[in-house]
Amino acid sequence: MKNLLLIVSVLYGTLTFAQDKGYFFGGFESNTQWLLNDEGLNFDAPEDQLRSNNYFRLDYNLGKITAGVQYESYLPSALLGYSPVFDGNNAIGTYYLNFKHETIDITAGYFYQQFGSGLILRSWEDRQLGINNALKGIRVIFTPTDYLDLTGIYGKTRNGFDVSEGITQGIDANFNISEALNIDRIDLDIGASYVGRYQNNGTNDTIPSIVNAYGGRLNFVAGDFYGGLEAIIKDPDVIANEGQLSSNKLYDGTAMQVDLGYAKKGLGINATFRRLENFSFYADRLAEGNIYNQELIGYTPALTKQQDYMLTNIYVYNAQPRLIIETYDQRAGEVGTQIDLYYNFKKGTLLGGKYGTKVAGNFSYWAGLDAEYHIENRWYKAEFIGNGSRLFRDFSVEVKKKINKKWSSVATFQNVIVDKGIVYGGPLAVEDDIQASIAVLEGTYKIKGSKSVRFVVQHLWAEKDRKNWAAGVLEYNINSNFALYLADNWNYGDTDIHYYSTGGSYSKGRTRFAMNYGRQRGGLICIGGVCRFVPENTGLTANLTVNF
Amino acid sequence: MNKIIILFCLLTTISVFSQGNIPNVDLKTMEGKTISFHEVTDQNNIVIISLWATWCVPCIKELDAISDVYEEWQEETGVELIAISVDDSRTVKRVKSLINGKGWDYQILLDTNNDLKRALGASTVPLTIVVKDNEIVLRHSGYSPGSEDELYEKIKELTL
Repeated sequence: MKNLLLIVSVLYGTLTFAQDKGYFFGGFESNTQWLLNDEGLNFDAPEDQLRSNNYFRLDYNLGKITAGVQYESYLPSALLGYSPVFDGNNAIGTYYLNFKHETIDITAGYFYQQFGSGLILRSWEDRQLGINNALKGIRVIFTPTDYLDLTGIYGKTRNGFDVSEGITQGIDANFNISEALNIDRIDLDIGASYVGRYQNNGTNDTIPSIVNAYGGRLNFVAGDFYGGLEAIIKDPDVIANEGQLSSNKLYDGTAMQVDLGYAKKGLGINATFRRLENFSFYADRLAEGNIYNQELIGYTPALTKQQDYMLTNIYVYNAQPRLIIETYDQRAGEVGTQIDLYYNFKKGTLLGGKYGTKVAGNFSYWAGLDAEYHIENRWYKAEFIGNGSRLFRDFSVEVKKKINKKWSSVATFQNVIVDKGIVYGGPLAVEDDIQASIAVLEGTYKIKGSKSVRFVVQHLWAEKDRKNWAAGVLEYNINSNFALYLADNWNYGDTDIHYYSTGGSYSKGRTRFAMNYGRQRGGLICIGGVCRFVPENTGLTANLTVNF
Repeated sequence: MNKIIILFCLLTTISVFSQGNIPNVDLKTMEGKTISFHEVTDQNNIVIISLWATWCVPCIKELDAISDVYEEWQEETGVELIAISVDDSRTVKRVKSLINGKGWDYQILLDTNNDLKRALGASTVPLTIVVKDNEIVLRHSGYSPGSEDELYEKIKELTL
């Protein structure tokens, strides 16, 4: 707290000298939960019933210089399902000083950075997931021309209110060939990255103290076609599972992603292929696979479509980059594909009607790598594609239609097959698959101006696991600032539990306040393909955000 | 509790100083070129900036709704809408196919590692801001059906 006040007074001081030239910006966000005992859910509130995550961010810009701090408090405890490193703590989480002038951009302190698609390096913040793996150190970005940029980084990864033991260093270069050579017909850019992690190996000489990764990529746009290719290799490293080295053997890792798309007005198709083999990359070798996603260096999100509704988010996929060679569980990575399609039936056509009809579809298939394992000598060999066990498959169709000036509607159907180990954790491809079909119908009725009512009815059919579900949402938008909702997910096929909730939100200009009460269904909460496990709970939640 | 009070005091004091300035961060065009947010907003016209994502249902509803009337808006006021996607690398490849599939006519930019989203303090999307003479004159988060009409009323007032 003292630090914060000190920094704020320094900033204030600077402002006085700056004579109106500089300006402040930032925000405050508070997410608070009051947990309550709930017999119907078999939920006993933990000792700390009140849990609260708060972020106060303040930045100041004066011409070429920007500086900022972020103060965070998790008092008396962090929200349920967040890493325990946050519990009961409050301090300055990040701070930085940045200088930016024409071709040069230098940051000291904490910074967020991504190389390529992030597979090799991504530091970012996601407050809903409890991820903040900002790097603490120095970053220099040099952009000598329109078609070339170079980035160098050096630092330790943030871990709670501390930093990682390992040091990450990296260089990234992007070169736009078409711009450099004045080619108009095709837009082509290439990039290359290097990222290395240094970590003391103590007395164990077989463990490498430096693990390097190298990547290259290419992206193109040619008329209506576009695509990209990215490949990364990572030096041999030991494997650690759940904080323990599993042996002294070293294993290299690879990642590869290919995207292809076609888009012209009214039609878009996009296909992605990705293969990951032993591609966990953490700022501490012993942090490998930690369930709280702390100390990540590389970003390996699940590449399935993020579904929009409550019941379409029960059976979700979580990416599987890990290598595990144990008697009870063997994994070497994943391979799979995701295809999206968007189509617009034009206004005035048979299927388009008066306002047009928008259709979206997706298909995805993800399998574990097809590999042979020798458990005694910790050896494995994986096929490039092969025929590994299916971990996830889904397809969905969504039709959006504005019926008239008052009514608009969305209909969605999804069919999903998922391995039980993905949903509940534990060994993969050992237990049964769960297959489910989900249908959703959503309607919005505009009453007047921005006053509207929205309803959603959903049903999930499944033979296994918790079987059938029904769900509904009713939302009343009183005006563009104020909304109320009522929702229920009912697992009538097995447990007969109602996960009900109700709440409202108010937003105006720089402020948004939301409050809700009810039951939270346990399971994976996934944002941007990264998932956090949340236990079932009941309580009252309040969120406040203010920006300035 | 004391801390919270201090924070609130700070907050209110600081809001007096902040004047809807435009953060100086870099974005990417769909062709992979870098463009600064200053260059984007530095136009004679009034500019609507919409922060959205392919996975955000209300964002898409809002942009769909505006798309239906966008031609009219442009003819009457010359307003320009720039849709900045905060999709990260997981979903950014869907941006191009989605905007085409939807038939949107907006200029699209990418904020892949969320530098602009952070600088604007947008904890959720959609966030809609209106920029006039390089200053943020209107800010609204969330979308409810019909709020695009309110937005347009404000735009018309601003063009007078």
